[in-house]
Parts: sequence; C-alpha cells; structure tokens
Amino acid sequence: MVRITSLAFLSLMLSTSMFPADQAAGQPTAIEAVQVIGIEGTHKNVKGTLQVKDGNLTFASTKGSHDVPISSIQDVVTGKDSQRVIGGTLGTISMLAPYGGGRALSLLRSKIDTLTIEYRDSNGALHGVIFTTPVGKTQALKDELIAQGAHTSIPSKPDQTVATHPQPEPQEKQ
Amino acid sequence: MKHLCQALLLSMLVSVPVSVVAAQPKANPKVADSSAIQVEMVKVGEVEVPAEFQVALYEHLVEEIEKDGAFSRVYRDGDRTAADAQNLIVMHAKITGFKEGSEMARQVTTVSGKTSIAVDCQLTDKNGSLLLEHNINGQVRFFGDNLRATYDFAKKASKAADEALSAYQARPKSGS
Repeated sequence: MVRITSLAFLSLMLSTSMFPADQAAGQPTAIEAVQVIGIEGTHKNVKGTLQVKDGNLTFASTKGSHDVPISSIQDVVTGKDSQRVIGGTLGTISMLAPYGGGRALSLLRSKIDTLTIEYRDSNGALHGVIFTTPVGKTQALKDELIAQGAHTSIPSKPDQTVATHPQPEPQEKQ
Repeated sequence: MKHLCQALLLSMLVSVPVSVVAAQPKANPKVADSSAIQVEMVKVGEVEVPAEFQVALYEHLVEEIEKDGAFSRVYRDGDRTAADAQNLIVMHAKITGFKEGSEMARQVTTVSGKTSIAVDCQLTDKNGSLLLEHNINGQVRFFGDNLRATYDFAKKASKAADEALSAYQARPKSGS
C-alpha cells in the first residue's frame, strides 16, 4: 500500500512538472529576461518577464510594463553570450580578493541568450531593445514573434530532420 | 578684537563671490535654442558586427546626446516630426572596425581581451552639407562587459555632436 501511494505521488509530481499550469491552460508563456538597454523610462539591467500577448511583446517588471506592437517590429535577432555568476558591485569588489581569488571567481560564468529587437513607434522613429534570457528561451520567442508578423534579417535555420528526409508526410499519406 | 576683525574680513571676502555667483542666471550655456539633432541608425558596412552591438551603439548614442543637453531636441532615425525642425543637424555613423574581446580574458589577465569598435561619424546639416567628420573609437579594456565599448563610443560621439553644433552656429547665415 505504501509503494502504491508513493508511486501515485511520484507520478503526480512528474505530471505537474512536465506540464506547467500556464501551458496546460493554453496561456502564453512568460520567460525571465533582463532589459539591457532600450526601453524608455526603465533603468538598464532591470529584471522582468517577456511575454507575447494580444499582439504585443510585453516586458513586465516591478517598475511597470512596456508593450511593443509585434507588427511594428522590423527585426528580431537572437544571439549567445556569457556573464559572470557574481556580477555587479560585488563582482567588482571581489577583484580585490587576495591571492588572485577575484580572478578565479571571474572564471565562473553562466551562458545566456540575447534577444535584440528593432521597432518603429507611431512617428516612424526607430527604437532598439536588447534583452538577455536564460539559455534556450529566445528561439521559441523569436519564432512566435515571426509567426505573428514580426520581421527578421536572420531567418531561423530549417529543421535538419526535414532536410535529410524531404517531404515524409505526403509519402505516408499515400 | 583683532581676531574679530580678521573673522569679519574673511567672512566678507567669502560672501562677496558667492553673492555674485548667485546673482547670475542658471541657464545652461550649452543649450542652443531651437537646435535639434537627428541620430540615424548606425550602419554596419562591410564589418561583421553582432546585432546587439549595432543596437547598443544607436541607443547609447541617443541617450548620451539627450543627457548632454546641448540640443533642445533629439530625433531618432525615421522620425517624421523631424521634418519640421529648425536648425537640424543629422548624425550618420558607420562601423569601420570591430574586434570582440573577452570579458573573462580581461578579468583574468588584465592585459588581453580588449573589445574595440571604430565608427566613422559624419555630422551634416539638413541639406547634407558636411559640418564635421570624426573617426571615433569605443573600447573596453578592464572592467565591464563587451557592450560597454558602445557606451564609451557614445560618450565621445556626443562631444563630436557638440563640436558640430558649434560649427553650425559659427557658419555665416545665408539669406534663404
């Protein structure tokens, strides 16, 4: 009986972790992001969430939210970068650590993705925004933006499996 | 008594220049009335530059010129309202060199890993007449991430914009 209960509990835990509540309900997924530069009235390096919702790309932070109409986005580009695990003022102070400890700490780095957006406002003025996100989050967001009308100068690479096996679906249908 | 006289004299000497300074108006001498600048998007040219560097150059440039306060209005690339602006200066920038360094290398070795960007800046008037041309370098040698080179460039470029404004104002006024 104990084993059955523990198995049931384990399966319940797995199911909730594999299918988050927002995805199950069909809600747009919000990803964590840091606004590096570009959003007017917002400080640099502000943490928040990025979400595609109601035809807008919304960046929400504790200071407020900012919407960019997807139709006004004329370029979306993703990139890769890395940053210090211990950054900011603490990271600078750590450089003074004795016996090269600060330099050793600077070797500890985490990979990040960058999302760069260019859009025009109602007057036609060009704005650029740079976000950083955890690794592996930006491509899905870029695809979603393009699907909803945003433009890009660097199209996504085609799926390799499709390229090696051209048109598998019509063959199966026949 | 002698000390009292000395103190009185000293206080008078100190108070006089302060009162003179306080009497002057607090207007910023750098601000030129109805002068405006339009910052065009930084062009990449034949150099391969990541998109985030191009955008960071542009955004830092707009931000630094606004912060500098020499122009009463700063227009962005493509802003239709700039067509009505008087005394408009246009800034064109093109990246001519780029070397992406490594923040980790900078912090570990101190002497290597420098990031540098060379940008050719042209400042023209509304009709396209050249006022000033500078090749400006932005770089980060020690602290900060690679994008900090774009901030370094923007600070220098805003000074170039000030020089262009001075050149524009020093030009003889035409009849038209």
